[in-house]
Amino acid sequence: MSQKLDKSVAQKEVVQAVVIAEHFGNEFMPITDDTPLTLLPLLNVPLLEYTLEFLSLGGIEETFLFCCSNVVMIKQHINSSIEKSAGWSLTMKVHVIVSETCRSFGDCIRDLDAKALIRGDFVLLEPGIVGNIKLLPIIKKHNETCNTDKGAAMTLILQEAGLGQRGRCSFEEVLMVATPNNRVLLHQKLGTSKKAKIELPLEILMDNASVNIYHNLKDTHISICSPNVLSLFSDNFDFQTKDDFVRGLLINEEILGSTIYWHLIKGNQYGAAVTNWRMYQSVSRDILHRWLYPLVPDMGISSQQRSYIHLQNNVYRSKDVHLTQSNSLIEDVIIGGGSSVGDKTRISRSIIGESVKIGDNVIIEDSFVFSNTVIGDNSVIQHSIIGQKCVLETGCIVTKASVIGKGVVLPENSIIENYLIRSHSSKTGVASNKLAKNAYHIKPEESVESDAEDDGLHRKLSRLYMPDEAEPSDDESVKSSESEDNLSYTISPVPDDTNLFLTEVVDSLTRGFEDKLQCDNLILEINSSRYAYNVSVKEVNFNVIKAILMLPFQLYLGQPYLPSLRPLLDYFSPILKNYIRNISAMVDCLQAIEDVAANNNELNECVSAVLNWLYNKDHLSEDVILNWFSGIDKNTRFYARVEPFTNWLQQAEEASSSEED
Amino acid sequence: MLEMELYSDVIKLISDIRHSKLHNSYDIAIHTEKLIEKLISEGKWNSAEDLMTLIKLRITRFANALPQEATSVNIMRHILKIIRDEYDSGFKNKGEGQQSAHHLGSTTMDDCEDYSKVLPSLKSSLLDNLAEYKVELESSADNIAAQALEHIHANEIILTVGKSSTVEKFLKYAAKSRKFQVVVVEAAPRFLGHLMASNLAKNNIETTVIPDSAVFAMMSRVNKVIIGTHTVLANGGLRAESGVHMVALAAKHYSIPIMVLAHMYKLSPMHLCSSEQDAFNICASPADVLPYSSGPLLDKVHVYNPVFDYVPPELVTLFISHQGGNAPSYVYRLLSELYHPDDQEL
Repeated sequence: MSQKLDKSVAQKEVVQAVVIAEHFGNEFMPITDDTPLTLLPLLNVPLLEYTLEFLSLGGIEETFLFCCSNVVMIKQHINSSIEKSAGWSLTMKVHVIVSETCRSFGDCIRDLDAKALIRGDFVLLEPGIVGNIKLLPIIKKHNETCNTDKGAAMTLILQEAGLGQRGRCSFEEVLMVATPNNRVLLHQKLGTSKKAKIELPLEILMDNASVNIYHNLKDTHISICSPNVLSLFSDNFDFQTKDDFVRGLLINEEILGSTIYWHLIKGNQYGAAVTNWRMYQSVSRDILHRWLYPLVPDMGISSQQRSYIHLQNNVYRSKDVHLTQSNSLIEDVIIGGGSSVGDKTRISRSIIGESVKIGDNVIIEDSFVFSNTVIGDNSVIQHSIIGQKCVLETGCIVTKASVIGKGVVLPENSIIENYLIRSHSSKTGVASNKLAKNAYHIKPEESVESDAEDDGLHRKLSRLYMPDEAEPSDDESVKSSESEDNLSYTISPVPDDTNLFLTEVVDSLTRGFEDKLQCDNLILEINSSRYAYNVSVKEVNFNVIKAILMLPFQLYLGQPYLPSLRPLLDYFSPILKNYIRNISAMVDCLQAIEDVAANNNELNECVSAVLNWLYNKDHLSEDVILNWFSGIDKNTRFYARVEPFTNWLQQAEEASSSEED
Repeated sequence: MLEMELYSDVIKLISDIRHSKLHNSYDIAIHTEKLIEKLISEGKWNSAEDLMTLIKLRITRFANALPQEATSVNIMRHILKIIRDEYDSGFKNKGEGQQSAHHLGSTTMDDCEDYSKVLPSLKSSLLDNLAEYKVELESSADNIAAQALEHIHANEIILTVGKSSTVEKFLKYAAKSRKFQVVVVEAAPRFLGHLMASNLAKNNIETTVIPDSAVFAMMSRVNKVIIGTHTVLANGGLRAESGVHMVALAAKHYSIPIMVLAHMYKLSPMHLCSSEQDAFNICASPADVLPYSSGPLLDKVHVYNPVFDYVPPELVTLFISHQGGNAPSYVYRLLSELYHPDDQEL
């Protein structure tokens, strides 16, 4: 029997997984000041144990754990788990890889590529994963896909989840467009953009006979990767996160020659990542509700010892908890070993760590209390996180998504609302106010790159969920005004390739003007894009003129239009000459002017000056202008603007003809 | 590391069960027996006492990690009994020669027996005994199936719940010489009844699948209920697949006999004391009951998906083991034959 097993193992490749242990963010401040995210207790068991046990149960035999900081702590933890013969340690090898120079997820992958440890398809896990997904069938499916499509790089694993689930973070919700054979065409995280509308490129609908559009999906942050994912990360230095990677690959599908597939997990499988406090709360609740079965507290996560009893209303009580009243634990509660709960205390929807002393008359709701903390009598804790070894003296009130770091001592009757508190003043220069001897209030860092409003929304969405708080619908007005702005840019529906061609031409011209390139070279460039996008001659003429006329908006936004257009026209004169060769080209040119003027008032006002310049330089002939003018709708403002010029033309013509006579 | 080496065999067994490499109780039974056989032939022990301590440690270890899997613990417990018997008879044969009937009775009374003496022949006699026991385990299912013709008669309608490999074998055996109908209750939310029905239908047994809600309506037409079980408790009650209690009550209402096919290793000296007893029952993922895609509803409800049901002994008519049929009231007697009284509580 064992021989047979050995043979089958030898024949089959070892399935590998890569776990990135670093989350490169400060969402979990100040709790993660001294504990890495991977060792954050989730229902009193370090997060890493869930990840590793999940991989082991999922059929993975070798795991690379990629750490950038707190390496000693993580290594210690792994070793002590192996000594205690944790479940995963029997069937899976874990290698800790250290790379302290990495600054992003992408860096880690590039480093991994340099180390050449991966032999075949592998499972890639972003930080903070929990799950109970059976990975082997999905890997097999990925393999089959690779056989039919050589470019298949990645299979994303997603879970169906109803919209609007309380406390779910909107960053985890995904809009996806895919072909019936599960090839991803568009992948967008809904929470990250402020736009109320979603733009679907027309080509997605034109190129595929049928597409499926999903918007009820939740990202599990787990993916199956082909080995070429590593080299793709190395080739594209701008890929910082997995989302960058997915977006980049989808946009440049033809250039990179790679495709992305997806897999929907069904039935009693569950996967999620702890990416911020809100997800931490949501995942905790899902585990209490047993979605992660068999990784539930009463069965022991990875240890051989089970210490919790599962009671009614999803109450999990350790065997040595001291309760004064049996009805203190109301619903969705887990309470760790060695804790004691006082008289008339009510605890609901909360996680209580090990050796926590809770006094009399305390109310704890929707909160997380980590181990070895003491909570005094008459305290109230709602929607908050209390770190390890804190002391809350009598009558403290902690509410509204406050986070209290390790070792904080709050004096009697403190009231804490929506604060981050740590026990020592900060070294890094983050502003902090002293509240008490061992309590400093941290002001969240003002983000430099993104505007404050955006950042505030981000923070609001990522902290703990509070039911009485209106969900961020108040920025509805922002959304609508923004969409109006967008409208002015949307031009009459042009087939997409032409549109792309236009942007390409604008880019070429901008670059050409800024770098003072030869106009001949620019013409060459435009012609090559013309072939790339398969655009007709007529459209080329139209779009080149349009591009030149729109250039002032790109280069000198907010400055007077005409003075900025003049040098451009002079500079691009050879190009104009090249494209406006015959009468039909002149008609295209005039149509372009009309088109741009219709959308931009600036050009509208000085249109006669532009026409005059073109006429003087012999780009346009007067017959064509007059002919075109007769076709214009007489009621428009544009007509009124052009009229003086044509009148002058006619007069000039009459004058010249009379002179000839 | 020391701990790991000491218990590596039982930890491996636990891990295999968790990774569902071993899924039915028969596989677990055979693996446990092999594990102990290996321990006896290769482990470091001198006296029977040493060996018993080793096994007891494994029992606690296993019971702690997987309290719902009674099979493995029962096998090890029975082997403890074999060791005690072998030790006793080894010394009896040496010292007093013939055993009197009177003596047989008194040995069981003798609780403070000393097992620390070294008995050189113990290892070989134990291995012989275990080989016998293994054969007993391997043939248990066939022996149970062989009794099928005593219980299933021509043109009867048999009702069964969910999937049990023992019941499947039993019915297939009867189908070789008799014609009868089987009604399979699908056993939501796991629906293992569907698999059972398709297996039976492949064997040309006339099979009907009914939903759990139709059990009461169907019961009046049924001649017998034949089910398997996860564990038989000390009082003759069952820890069976969820849904079986309801079937048993319906059968009681119509006075239909319920037969429970149980291998000897399913008999456990455990009692049910309260509905919240630790590790008696277990709740699986709610996904089978209410999918995760239900959205906001999930926040408002608690969903329970228990794996087991408790069936009280008065609802069971007959247990069929490889030794024949027994009434639930006789289970306590079987237990005292299987396990030494000292080993019942560990």
